[in-house]
Amino acid sequence: MTAALVGPGEGAFAAPDAPSAAQLGTATGSATGSATDSAPPEHRPRRTLLDRTLKIWAILIFAFLFTPIVVIVAYSFNTGRLLAAFTGFGFDSFGALFTKPVVRDAVLVSLKVGVVAAIFAALLGTFAGIALARRPGKWTYWFMGLLLLVAMTPEIVDAVALLPWLVFLGQDLGLGIFNNGIVRLVIGNSVFSIAVVTYLVRARLLGMPENLEEASADLYAPPMRTFRKVTLPLTMPAILAGLLLSFTFSLDDTIVASFVQVSGATPWPVYVLSAVHTGLRPEVAAVSSIMLVITLGALAVVGIVLKRAGDSSAEIASTMAGG
Amino acid sequence: MPRRRLPKYALALPAWLWLIAFFIVPVAVVFWYSFGYKPGLFGSHANDVLSFDRYIEVLTPTFFKTFLNTLQIGVAGTLLCFLIGAPVAYWMALKAPAHLKGLLIALVLVPFWTNFLIRTIGWMIVLSPEGWVSQAFQALGFNPVSILYTRPAVLLGVVYNYLPLMILPLYVAFDRVGVVLREASKDLGASPLRTFTRVTFPLARPGIIVGVLLVYIPLMGDYITATVLGGAKGNMVGQMLASQFQTAQNWALGSAMAIMLILITVGSIAVMGGLIVLGTMPIRRRNRVRLQEVSV
Repeated sequence: MTAALVGPGEGAFAAPDAPSAAQLGTATGSATGSATDSAPPEHRPRRTLLDRTLKIWAILIFAFLFTPIVVIVAYSFNTGRLLAAFTGFGFDSFGALFTKPVVRDAVLVSLKVGVVAAIFAALLGTFAGIALARRPGKWTYWFMGLLLLVAMTPEIVDAVALLPWLVFLGQDLGLGIFNNGIVRLVIGNSVFSIAVVTYLVRARLLGMPENLEEASADLYAPPMRTFRKVTLPLTMPAILAGLLLSFTFSLDDTIVASFVQVSGATPWPVYVLSAVHTGLRPEVAAVSSIMLVITLGALAVVGIVLKRAGDSSAEIASTMAGG
Repeated sequence: MPRRRLPKYALALPAWLWLIAFFIVPVAVVFWYSFGYKPGLFGSHANDVLSFDRYIEVLTPTFFKTFLNTLQIGVAGTLLCFLIGAPVAYWMALKAPAHLKGLLIALVLVPFWTNFLIRTIGWMIVLSPEGWVSQAFQALGFNPVSILYTRPAVLLGVVYNYLPLMILPLYVAFDRVGVVLREASKDLGASPLRTFTRVTFPLARPGIIVGVLLVYIPLMGDYITATVLGGAKGNMVGQMLASQFQTAQNWALGSAMAIMLILITVGSIAVMGGLIVLGTMPIRRRNRVRLQEVSV
């Protein structure tokens, strides 16, 4: 399942360098590779023992990295009552998504919060990132310091800090909106996501000189028009990447969500966390596998967008690690 | 963008206000609570009398043991992540065939982006008494082993969970070093080891520092791994302080623990950073002298 998702992404990754190979799809990926092997552009020294050991080590670690994922996907086909005890193969556990309202509601809450939080974070983060890159001043240091602080604070501290604060706002001050489950979850997810989007947008714009915007102004475009027609399109890949990353962040958020959630709007990971203590059933693995496919789909799109925008694989790696 | 009237930070104002309202203020409130106390069985916090008593309470052996435990797991986990991840990142960036790099990064990103909790549950299945590890041991004629709910299980879990966070920045760091400078070093007669210690490693150092911090900081505050693999017995600070808010309803003590966690994390980074700077001083001094000889 995962390989299939990575596959098409890979084909597109190669697009700018070798358009013909990309058109032919992934199947030609290896053929292109062997073509470059047969005509090496640089002299290739003989592989030493150390190189071979490194390669074997890397393969072992990749196997290690995929162990629990393979286990979860495999166990989602478990027809037994308990997740950890595999009794038979079947698709029963996937049915829980339709037959069990608790499971379905949890997934829907997660998706809803993910979409709202992503749009919200992308909006605030984009404006902040553009301001940081295009209107720098003394305030930039303060703001960057704040973003660093957000990124450095352990999630559990955010979580325990938000809970009393939202209770205070919602109950003591009587601001009803802060008692709404979806609003609370969006707030919980927004802080970190805003920081990430801001950082991505700023990094993208800093990498581009202001020439185009100046040219647009020189050609008598009003500021709003320059913003809409020049700045925004230039920033688009970063905004889109930030949007999708925020979506997956909030889809995965467990710690903050488990503190700020109100009963009736439990997101999926919090449902799973509570099930850890009471007994995990195979449907947890089944639904998680589906969520994994959604996440990887979003990430494949991020990868394609960034690759189209001309990022190197190292730049994509650092972007996807959250800036 | 209106150029005359609005201040420069105007566009960033919404994000600014939002982060103040839902990050700065809540964390400041926790800081404030940490000087308060739990007024009675049903109250969660009171701040009419301020004191350092909660911090003193945190420093008593009952609670401080967990901090020491966390520090041990944090340091050991980060070190293991580095030792395991660095060769992988080095191989990916400098030895792997160029056309495979995108695929290899995707292979690190997939586990990284798989839900943290779900990955941990995956290990729970593997390590459970009915799981593969235990069955393998039984097949070899040993007694069934119970690794689950022990410290080694938590250590395995954190190493696994934070390994991609180490590999990705290290990959970026080694990738930036590039082939050119390394070949130059080789052409000038340096051995592979010397190329590594004098060219690759110094150039990759900022990325290594980033990787170590990216693993160490969240690892110290880890909540999920210890909850799932460490069982009911809380042996990391994250769980302990969460339970002060969720079950014990002692917000003052929980807040003091949160502040203490931040202080210990930052403090230990400062101490380790200082030790590394001091420890490598002789080496760097020697290198500097040699560089001068070359340049003269």
